[in-house]
Amino acid sequence: MADSILEAFYLFLTFQNIAIVFVGVLIGTIIGAIPGMTTPMGVALALPFTFTMQPVTGILLLLGIYKGGLYGGSITAILIKAPGTPAASCTVMDGYPLTQKGEARKALDMALYASCFADLISNLSLILFAGVLAGFALKFGPPEFFTLIVFSLTIIAGVSGEHLTKGIISAGMGLLFATIGLDMVYGTNRFVFDNWQLMGGLSFIPVLIGLFALPEIIRYFSQKVSDQIKPVKMSGMGATFADFKRSFKSILRGSFIGVVLGTIPGIGGAPAAFLSYSEAKRNSKNLDNFGKGELEGVAAAEAGNNGVAGATMIPLLALGVPGDVITAVILGAFMIHGLRPGPVMFVENLTMIYALFIGIMLSSAYLFMIGKFSIRAISRISEVPNRILYPVVIVFCLFGTFAINNSAFDVLVMLLMGCVGYLMLIFKIPAPPFLIAFILGPLLEDNFRQSMILSEGSFSILLRSGICWFFWALTVLSIFLLIKSRKKNIPLNG
Amino acid sequence: MSAERKLGIAVVLISILLLLILIPFGVDTPNQVSHITLSPDFWPKIIVSIIGLMGMLMIINPGVEPQEGTVKITNPFSQGLRLAGTLGILFLFYLLVPTLGMVAPAIVLLASMMWFAGERRPRYLLTISICTPFLLYFFFVHVANIPIPLGIFESLRG
Repeated sequence: MADSILEAFYLFLTFQNIAIVFVGVLIGTIIGAIPGMTTPMGVALALPFTFTMQPVTGILLLLGIYKGGLYGGSITAILIKAPGTPAASCTVMDGYPLTQKGEARKALDMALYASCFADLISNLSLILFAGVLAGFALKFGPPEFFTLIVFSLTIIAGVSGEHLTKGIISAGMGLLFATIGLDMVYGTNRFVFDNWQLMGGLSFIPVLIGLFALPEIIRYFSQKVSDQIKPVKMSGMGATFADFKRSFKSILRGSFIGVVLGTIPGIGGAPAAFLSYSEAKRNSKNLDNFGKGELEGVAAAEAGNNGVAGATMIPLLALGVPGDVITAVILGAFMIHGLRPGPVMFVENLTMIYALFIGIMLSSAYLFMIGKFSIRAISRISEVPNRILYPVVIVFCLFGTFAINNSAFDVLVMLLMGCVGYLMLIFKIPAPPFLIAFILGPLLEDNFRQSMILSEGSFSILLRSGICWFFWALTVLSIFLLIKSRKKNIPLNG
Repeated sequence: MSAERKLGIAVVLISILLLLILIPFGVDTPNQVSHITLSPDFWPKIIVSIIGLMGMLMIINPGVEPQEGTVKITNPFSQGLRLAGTLGILFLFYLLVPTLGMVAPAIVLLASMMWFAGERRPRYLLTISICTPFLLYFFFVHVANIPIPLGIFESLRG
């Protein structure tokens, strides 16, 4: 193990890696701070730029964007009451009243301190638990993986918004699109229609960019959405150590809430932020001040939100299943680099995993530096009008998509997926279930069919071991809890 | 009839079309398969059946009409025109790539989209629409070593 850690340092310690984590966190913070841009959109746009990088470098860039995006969303939430990410919507409740009181600087500082602390706790949890879980997963065969992926698909309930049926329709579309190409067992064509470019299936990136970047932009152009920019008000003194100390209990509690909820696929940052906030409110002496500009409220919301970041990587690295939409994109990035996250990666690419851990820890430090020293500049960037931003994003999408295979066909796929995504937006069919199912679909079908080959067509193989029973039980429990929480209107759309 | 119920009917109809036409014609199945679950069309049929079932659920229980985040169509003709214009520019770009390369169509696309969105300041229109495609071109070609077609600017490659 010590040898692997040393090798990981050797692998990580290059100028490129050290710089790329910084660049990733900076880009993520900027994207998170721009209302109208989302973190999945940012990760999707950055993905084509990672093709020619070393796998560690490329993945670290995306992870940096993910972490920066989580924090960046709170900047505009506090300053102009426009959360850059859904998870930052809880921060608005006390952050914006603080800005109105002339204490924006204090709120931003506290959001930063809470975010960095929670991020650190979350990263440590990832380092401690991912390996243990991966060791357990080494015992998995096709039936166990099939039941695990079925359980992972319960994420869909978490990312479906208010309409579960539409979420399942979206996931069904994703699974169906994933079947395009050659059949894995018989080698026959499925939905290829004599087009050789479809034989290898649809490329992941055109589908991703088409679904996540284009629909909002098409909506903007077709609806002529108002381009009014609210002026940013940065005022007051910064937060002190005494302020941090006063909120420390809530930050610690929120960090652990984020870690626990982050490890469960599909929960995401928003519920963690709201739960952390409500727990802080319940335990606070200043209960009446919550919602009117309570600094502890900002701290709790941001701790819950950022505690999720490292933890969502636990199921991704240990089991190869994504915890949310962004980790689903990162799973796609691993595959593009010829890597398959999961227990086998802990055996074959342990050095790389440790190098990723080092980079992830460094990202917490960068987050602090960027938040502390460049927040004023970043908050100004959020004033870039969409009439300039969106056309530039379109050109990024077109170049990035073309660059995957030097193929204009991929550009066509991206544009068509953009139309599909726009229709989904009109009918309020959520896009994240589509993407998650599109990524998990081939794994699900592959493991199912391998199980059927092993058992000569008997479904009893799907109940062959305690692990299978465990995941079936988790699936049932997860669906039960999600339906119950929906009835109580707890937001589960992080 | 509510929009949700109409959507449910559309989903059921599309599922029937997929089951009866697209899957039989689009999926090649061997004459003999050892078990039904291994057939190439088994998985697509299961997925489409689930989609159809969800469509039926939407017809039976359409639920509350979503309000927030829905695209509101206030002036269908004008919005339709704007939508057609946006998609027209994007697909025109795709059609021009094989002959003109990526950079020249991207310059035109950027300038026209910014104009379309209401940007009228010439210095922004010119600098952004010219610099962005060239910067992306230089990144992909000279940093990432990915050949991006230059089309009419091919002579600049040197």
